[in-house]
Amino acid sequence: MIRYISSRLIQSVITLFAVLTIVFMLMRLMPVEGYLGESYDKLDEIQREKIIENLGLKDPIHVQLKKFYKRVASGDLGVSIAYRPGVPVAEILKSKIPYSLGFGIASLSISIISGITLGIFMADSEGKILKRVGNIYIILINSIPAAIYYILIQFYITDIFKLPMLFYIDRPISWILPVLSLSLGTTATYALWMKRYMVDELNKDYVKLAMAKGLKRREVMKKHVFLNAFVPMIQYLPSSILFTISGSIYIESLYSIPGMGGLLVEAVQRQDNPLVEAIVLIYSSIGIIGMLAGDVLMAILDPRIKLGKREGRI
Amino acid sequence: MKKLLIFFIGVAVVLAGWNASRHNWYDREENELRMVYSGEVTTLNYLTAATANEISLAVNFVDSLVEYDRFGGIKPCLATEWNTSEDGTIWTFKIRKGVKWVTHEGKVYGKLVAQDFVDGLKYVLTSENNSRTANIVYSVIKNAKEYYNKEITDFNEIGIKALDEYTLQYTLNKPVPYFLSILNYLCFFPVKGQFLEEVGDRFGTDNRYILYNGPYVMINYEPHHRRVLEKNEYYWDKDNVYIQRITMTYNKEANVLAPEMFLRGEIDHVGIGTDIIHEWMNNPVKRNLIRPNRTNFFSYFFLFNFNPQFSEEYEPVNWLVAVNNRNFRKSIFHAMDRKSAMLTEEPYEPEKRLLNTITPRNFISAGKIDYTQLEPLSKFTNRDSFDEKLALTYKNKAIEELKGKVSFPVKILMPYNAASRQWANRVQVIEQQLEGVLGKDYIDIIIEPNPPTGFLERVRDSGKYALMELNWGADFADPETYTHPFRRDSTSSWIHMARGYEGENGYTIYENLVQRAADEVMDINKRYQLFAEAEAFLIEEAFVIPYSVGGGGYAASRINPFEISYSPFGAVSGRFKGLKLLKTPMSMDEYNLLYKQWERERSERLKGAEK
Amino acid sequence: MMNSGYSYWNSTIRAFMKNKVSLFFMALMAVFIVFIIIQPYLPNQKSPNVIYVDDTTGLQLINMPPGREFWFGTNSIGQDMWARIWSGTRTSLFIGIIVALWENAIGLIIGVIWGYVRRLENIITSIYNVINNLPRVIILILLAYTMKPGVLTMIFTMCITGWLDTARIVRNIVVIIRDREYNIASRILGTPAYRIIYRNILPYLVSVLVLKATLSIPAAIGYEVFLTYIGLGLPLSIPSLGNLINEGRGYITVPSLRYQLMIPAMVLSIITVSFYAIGNAFADASDPRNHF
Repeated sequence: MIRYISSRLIQSVITLFAVLTIVFMLMRLMPVEGYLGESYDKLDEIQREKIIENLGLKDPIHVQLKKFYKRVASGDLGVSIAYRPGVPVAEILKSKIPYSLGFGIASLSISIISGITLGIFMADSEGKILKRVGNIYIILINSIPAAIYYILIQFYITDIFKLPMLFYIDRPISWILPVLSLSLGTTATYALWMKRYMVDELNKDYVKLAMAKGLKRREVMKKHVFLNAFVPMIQYLPSSILFTISGSIYIESLYSIPGMGGLLVEAVQRQDNPLVEAIVLIYSSIGIIGMLAGDVLMAILDPRIKLGKREGRI
Repeated sequence: MKKLLIFFIGVAVVLAGWNASRHNWYDREENELRMVYSGEVTTLNYLTAATANEISLAVNFVDSLVEYDRFGGIKPCLATEWNTSEDGTIWTFKIRKGVKWVTHEGKVYGKLVAQDFVDGLKYVLTSENNSRTANIVYSVIKNAKEYYNKEITDFNEIGIKALDEYTLQYTLNKPVPYFLSILNYLCFFPVKGQFLEEVGDRFGTDNRYILYNGPYVMINYEPHHRRVLEKNEYYWDKDNVYIQRITMTYNKEANVLAPEMFLRGEIDHVGIGTDIIHEWMNNPVKRNLIRPNRTNFFSYFFLFNFNPQFSEEYEPVNWLVAVNNRNFRKSIFHAMDRKSAMLTEEPYEPEKRLLNTITPRNFISAGKIDYTQLEPLSKFTNRDSFDEKLALTYKNKAIEELKGKVSFPVKILMPYNAASRQWANRVQVIEQQLEGVLGKDYIDIIIEPNPPTGFLERVRDSGKYALMELNWGADFADPETYTHPFRRDSTSSWIHMARGYEGENGYTIYENLVQRAADEVMDINKRYQLFAEAEAFLIEEAFVIPYSVGGGGYAASRINPFEISYSPFGAVSGRFKGLKLLKTPMSMDEYNLLYKQWERERSERLKGAEK
Repeated sequence: MMNSGYSYWNSTIRAFMKNKVSLFFMALMAVFIVFIIIQPYLPNQKSPNVIYVDDTTGLQLINMPPGREFWFGTNSIGQDMWARIWSGTRTSLFIGIIVALWENAIGLIIGVIWGYVRRLENIITSIYNVINNLPRVIILILLAYTMKPGVLTMIFTMCITGWLDTARIVRNIVVIIRDREYNIASRILGTPAYRIIYRNILPYLVSVLVLKATLSIPAAIGYEVFLTYIGLGLPLSIPSLGNLINEGRGYITVPSLRYQLMIPAMVLSIITVSFYAIGNAFADASDPRNHF
């Protein structure tokens, strides 16, 4: 296992390297006009040449790559050239990540708690009304595009309850709606999967045995079924965490939350190479480590899975 | 379990009810203007910026030598008086005494002196600083271009000098009659050299890294979230600053959410977009809350391409023959119903946006005659080009002349930027309208959606269009600025390749007309007259189809647009100096009244200026 | 060996037929698809792009509410919403189905190879990681820059990275099952790989794949809405549910114009719910544990 993890780690570094290099080169396929900005029309040839030169984009590509890796190796994430020219990328990210992280963690916690609770109730065949309500909720959330119900919530709920329409850091009451909206979709997902795993477990023989032995239903549910069903849910955690950092582009646009959502899109559209590269570096690292963690988790939970070279191979 | 659930629901309901019973959750301070904006600035560095968003914010923080009053007249600002040399190349300004530079916290940093203007210009002309407006400077200032290109390294040889603490002198490379208006461009703004050295590369990256000498100080700056402007207590003209504080909240969906926020009393000014204007107009309560916006000086026009470089499937060779036929161009010129195209953006009063010349109305006047009313432009200005019968007459003439040389229908490639919803709608209307009038056997318009990335470079500058809508904004207060998009050295037009228009010295007739006008630097009225002739030629030969001005639309607002300083160019409409907060939103009737009043006062001033 | 009389596929179909709800949705979707295919050929149908103009005033018939002339009303420049909605649904479903087919076919093949063939596991994992971590936005914007906006471009952009998810899910299941005792036993006995895959592994995959495939279609439309939101969608001259919904979003505050949002949103919801129900039911039916 240890050997497997360490070889995977080495792979991860190579992968990261490949991703960064590819992104680096892809960004340099973008049109020159984008680097010159909105005032492209008013610049004359001399200015255009000078600006492109000053951005370091005239150097041959291997020179640019070398400079880039030298910079990254020393921990310097670079300085933004288009999104907020002159501002160090680290500063931009440092001011934005806390917002997305905060909202992400808050809504994830709510989703997990309510989703799992809802899933448990839906699996329990005694609560018929709750089951129906739960089903309708899951169907609605999945069939109406998030872009639409986010804005409907913002409009009508703020009107009915006289809440502020936008997010203000100094007014906690404006934090509620974005968090709740954000958690609606994930709650449905967790509820759906929890119910499925619970139902699977409930049909297993050991449950029937326990009930036949005379244990109360509630006991059985709490002690055995729930725990067994909960375990496979863990595999969804790593990707959920990545979601929390990247932020929801819709929610953050609607409520004016200065988070990470939409930052990558905007950075690419504005062709702010250092910013794009830094974001890709961070997201990729989390993504790759996350996948490794997911695989290891899977192997730990299910001893029948053997990763790496197998003993006794024919 | 169930009981717990019911308990929580009960608590939530009680809390909600309590919150709902309170009226305005957000209390407004007296004399505070609250707005929502959706275009974030990327920098506060006014010496390098050139986009409308950045300009309209920066002009609140830093003043320049001159400013515009609300009728478009130039007034002393940081300069108290000025004079020109005989030949018009040396301008000397007396700088106002007692003007202070303050930090973002409102503390005094130093005083404004003539050297600050020199420091500013040096920064702009240092090419490493990537100033987008450097070319404006070196088009007029002596030796500026050479310094930018590093052919000269001693800044003292540049045509700007601080003769003493309060005297500033510019030396131009040729007489420039509109020099005063250019001084309002950000690149001529002052900056404290000492401060530049202190903050280095961080200059302009946020509100802490600039100094203020203008009407407002930005006390709070959270990009993509909120900014707060506070009246500058050390401002030299602070009696003319009425609004104490301006709070702007950023929201990407401003055009959808902001009108609702206005209705709920959360903001004081909002643009009412085309999507919802009908609903507001038809609602008796909402109708009283809105008023029109003024138009601006962006000029929109359609350009014929004489250098088609697009792919074979759109038949560039065929197009080249057709477009060089004057009657063909004129048939399209008169067939375009511009009003119906404008309806997609301005459903009420589309006429106010229509423009029949390249240079907009009220931009400049020769004496008391508006430039667009000068002969020979007046005949275009005073009559709508749309004339079906005339179009068909030209069509028949064109068909006769082109028979056998061109295959009908002539394919017309009309690209547009697919990211703009308005544009996407507009081209569809224009396509069907033109084909409807002229017939699909004569022309076949192909509208081509293009991604926004590198749009201008890829489509316009590479000649990959047959007929396309373009636009241009003025850089200074002179008709010469509206000839720039048609110059052969700009990549934005190919009309110099039209056949049959060769003039003297290897230049085209139009270019010679423009040059003749530009050379006239002494007699201003004559200068404008000559430019009018050049522009009239452009329109008469149907190289362009003038379309509209920008701006317009409606707003629900507590701001009086007639108190804003009225500048023929630049986004000075973002300047809050002189604005007062109205008690109730301005209605349409009030607006019309004030507009008439404004026009009257303005024409009186023009008459007065003539004397 | 005695034939046990159990056929996997027969049992699956039988179990599926028992679910009345999903049968209803299948029928609904069938009718729906037939309708949108024949809709343009029905009498009195208007073209989705033609701008309708009032004969007397010459003004475009903008934003007309649903009525006798225009059954779903008109949009902001006077185009018929009824024609646009059905044309848009055709386009979106077409894109969704092609993308779903491609994603699941390629995802299945690669996922099986990835999970079963140990020698290739490392390489494919690395390739997957690299492609997965490349921001889709960059690829999308570059593709849009080189290829003109259009249906083909949209399909291409969605297919280029869409297969990754399916491949990973397939691979995870294959990894779990390949090492179960009975498979080890089969291998020792010398059963060729394809037989093992076909007999023991595929049945588990079917339920997941069908669920994923049916959910891919509404997911593709949802992704199209997102792409339109960031400006990379289909141009307005090619209506699709994505850009129709995006158009309508601006009218959420205008009661009289809300139909321009509600109608495409409802169509999308019906499609989504139907495919969910069908997919869920098929997934349940094809799970071998439900066959008794």
